[in-house]
Amino acid sequence: MSKKISRRDFLKLAGVGAATGAVLTGCGPASRYVVREPYMQMPEYTFNGQSTYFATTCRECPAGCGLVVRTYQGRAIKVEGNKVHPVNLGKTCARGQATLQGLYNPDRVTGAVSQSARGSRNFSNMEWDAAIGVVADALANTDPAGIAFLMGLAPDHLYDLASDLTTAIGAPAPVRYGALSLFETRATLLQAAESILGQSGLPYFDMAGADVTFSFGANFLETWLSPVAYTRGYSKMRKQEKRGYLVQFEPRMSQTAAKADEWVPLKPGTEGLVALAIGRIAAQVRGGSLPRAFVDVDIPGIVEESGVSEETLLHLAELFAGAERPLAVPGGAALGQSNGLGTAEAVLALDAMAGNFGKPGGVFLAPIPPNVDAVPRPANLQEMAAFVEQMKAGEIKVLFIHGINPVFELPKALGFENAMKSVPLVISFATFPDESALQADYIFPDHHGLESWGYQRVAIGADQPTLSGAQPVVVPFYNTRATADLLLAAAGTVGGDLAAALPYPDEVAFLQEKVLPLVENKDANFNAAEIDTFYAYFQQAGGWWGNQIALTVPAPNSLNNAMTVAAPEFEGEGEFVLLPFVSPILGEAGANKPWLQEVPDPTTTVMWNSWVEINPETAHELGIENDDVVRIVSEAGELEVSVYQYPAIRPDTIAIPFGQGHTAYGRYAEGRGVNPFDLLGLKFNEAGDLAFASMKVKIEKTGRKRELSRLESKIGVYGEGLGEEH
Amino acid sequence: MIKRIFGVLFSPLGRIGLLIGGLTVLSLAVWGISLTQASPAQPIQFPHNRHVNFGIQCLYCHPGASRGPVAGLPTQTKCWGCHQQMQITQTSELLKPLVQAVESNKPIQWVPVAIVPDFVHFNHRPHIAAGVNCEDCHGDMRQVTIAENPQVFNMGWCLNCHRERTENDPEKRTKLLDCGTCHY
Repeated sequence: MSKKISRRDFLKLAGVGAATGAVLTGCGPASRYVVREPYMQMPEYTFNGQSTYFATTCRECPAGCGLVVRTYQGRAIKVEGNKVHPVNLGKTCARGQATLQGLYNPDRVTGAVSQSARGSRNFSNMEWDAAIGVVADALANTDPAGIAFLMGLAPDHLYDLASDLTTAIGAPAPVRYGALSLFETRATLLQAAESILGQSGLPYFDMAGADVTFSFGANFLETWLSPVAYTRGYSKMRKQEKRGYLVQFEPRMSQTAAKADEWVPLKPGTEGLVALAIGRIAAQVRGGSLPRAFVDVDIPGIVEESGVSEETLLHLAELFAGAERPLAVPGGAALGQSNGLGTAEAVLALDAMAGNFGKPGGVFLAPIPPNVDAVPRPANLQEMAAFVEQMKAGEIKVLFIHGINPVFELPKALGFENAMKSVPLVISFATFPDESALQADYIFPDHHGLESWGYQRVAIGADQPTLSGAQPVVVPFYNTRATADLLLAAAGTVGGDLAAALPYPDEVAFLQEKVLPLVENKDANFNAAEIDTFYAYFQQAGGWWGNQIALTVPAPNSLNNAMTVAAPEFEGEGEFVLLPFVSPILGEAGANKPWLQEVPDPTTTVMWNSWVEINPETAHELGIENDDVVRIVSEAGELEVSVYQYPAIRPDTIAIPFGQGHTAYGRYAEGRGVNPFDLLGLKFNEAGDLAFASMKVKIEKTGRKRELSRLESKIGVYGEGLGEEH
Repeated sequence: MIKRIFGVLFSPLGRIGLLIGGLTVLSLAVWGISLTQASPAQPIQFPHNRHVNFGIQCLYCHPGASRGPVAGLPTQTKCWGCHQQMQITQTSELLKPLVQAVESNKPIQWVPVAIVPDFVHFNHRPHIAAGVNCEDCHGDMRQVTIAENPQVFNMGWCLNCHRERTENDPEKRTKLLDCGTCHY
């Protein structure tokens, strides 16, 4: 006991203890204790540790961009653009990137279900054989005139199949619609093109080659016809030897106006008048005889009407007249007015005067996609109104809904949801439990876009005829079934003429039959002797496209008739013009993807919510601050939304983005923001498109505040957000 | 307090106790080390020797070795492709786990044998491409049942080979002795 422990002994003991501890806790690498599970069955083309890439088509909007999806061990990991695809040449937008979050969305419909009562969300699972029975029964035992297909905007294989099906049974052709077509005002553009360009077809504006572009409401950098293709054209325009010049005419500064060299905030609905004024002055500047189209133009009246000063008009007209390759583009909210058709014609008349039809930097007609005479036009809102009337009258007995959410994407004033009650049987093929699917009797979910086969015609954005190809990049995660397969199986069950018209064992057989004529066309991105090889190349390349540029050159227009544009008519008693616009991030169906919700809006930086843009001057007059909740009241309805003071909007105009305000559609979308479609009336322009920017509304204070989440500082760059009292 | 503990430890009885304790720790350590070096237990006593002696090539079951980083384990469908045609599959005790796995559609949980730490980026492909044979690293599989490591996969062993094989090629040697070749 007397022995002392020296410091040295103590350290020795401690060392031995530590070494023992280290030895006993094991020397082997930790991964020794990991087990490895081989595949039960290796997915095709999979090698351990290596990614596999599949080319397919983006289904987030109808533009038809090509994607290359990286997959790893049977899971889709990352989406990129397909570098050889003529529409997007390797680029994608945020919505394309976020398509993965649709695939992995926790709220997907995982199998065939029936709903005990519409809207009850009380679903019971069904076997697919029973689902086939339901569809077959509906097809066999309903008067064909009462069978209706309502489909999304994409001119894809399923539309072809549904068309074949309705033709075979003598039912009305499928109706295609989408909120994007409402905002694009495609019907107006097509009709104006026919009268000015002398031939029907979707005009394609070759922005890449223009040195001065005047865009009248066409918001092509956000969402208009083919945003990725036009964004590419815009960037090429800027990179020319002489940097291209862009002037944007619209009451609210969109992203396109923000990137323009000049923004002309004219009064809503006066775009056509301004175009005529510019045409007249430009013609005078150029000298020579004044085209008859412009003889009746009353410049002082237009200055008064539009709020654009005479100096500005003169300056713009000189700019246009002095340009080598000027281009004028009509589109968007400018055409969504009561005088939309006149506006579109006036703007195209500017092109006719500039003589740029069929020239670099001018106006062309988009190539006709393979295997069709023309891209079938989606329904305009007037046709949709007629469709809803049919539903209300009980003429439609069976309604099939695919690729669209009509309850959300149609103005509430149209009463689609109510009209559904008059349809005895509604079958939805929705991938997600959206508002319309919840009003259906059955949901027979289609695969997600990344799990499915298909092709899609490219309506615009490519210089050559293009058929974009789609293939599954992953095995379907859930017990979903391709709608094409379901319809084919149902047709087989019905038998008779229908089975004879659709004799395909499955979707791929149908697709191969449809692309078969292309095997003969050897002047394309690939060649093959027979269909199997052809289809393998088709999958590998991500589609088929011709080698030759096939833009049609419109006939020159002599502008022999005097043109006038009527003054815009507005509905409602309010003092502010409501300008709904598509959220460039969410689009019509992106609200259920958190990545997109989290992306700040490009102009306001607001995330995860809706807002109303009010000019600070107007807000000050009304005594409204940022984040105040206001009630927007129109003739058609009302809604409550937080205020965002936006200096880049006219004081007499307010704007609300479209994309939020879902009452269903999964956890990320539900109960978030408002839908400006609740406020719209049913005023149409001459082409049958909705005059969606022609509603006048009132603003009422509620006295409440709800903060918007936004990326930009609320204090502002110069501390202006602190308020005067600070 | 600590003085008292040390006092007890250094008493004669304490010393004997310490010795016994020390021996126990030592034997446990030896056992522990031997465990880390022995081949781990596998769900199936897979006889590599028999398969190799039938003339089946390594790359038939581990095709990843010639194409990428990981040699890979065969899928059950690959095993079953041959085994379902053989009488012995249904009767053999040894093959029961395979039959069960296929019938229940559950993957077999193998324990990896030839592994390197996570900070080493090993890739089979360049080794096969350089003409290294499987048995050069993994030993002669005709001799063993479940896989065993004939040597410890440590850096000295890797570098030895890299040195030997690049004796006459200084450029290659620089590349193959560079840290960044494996640690990146």
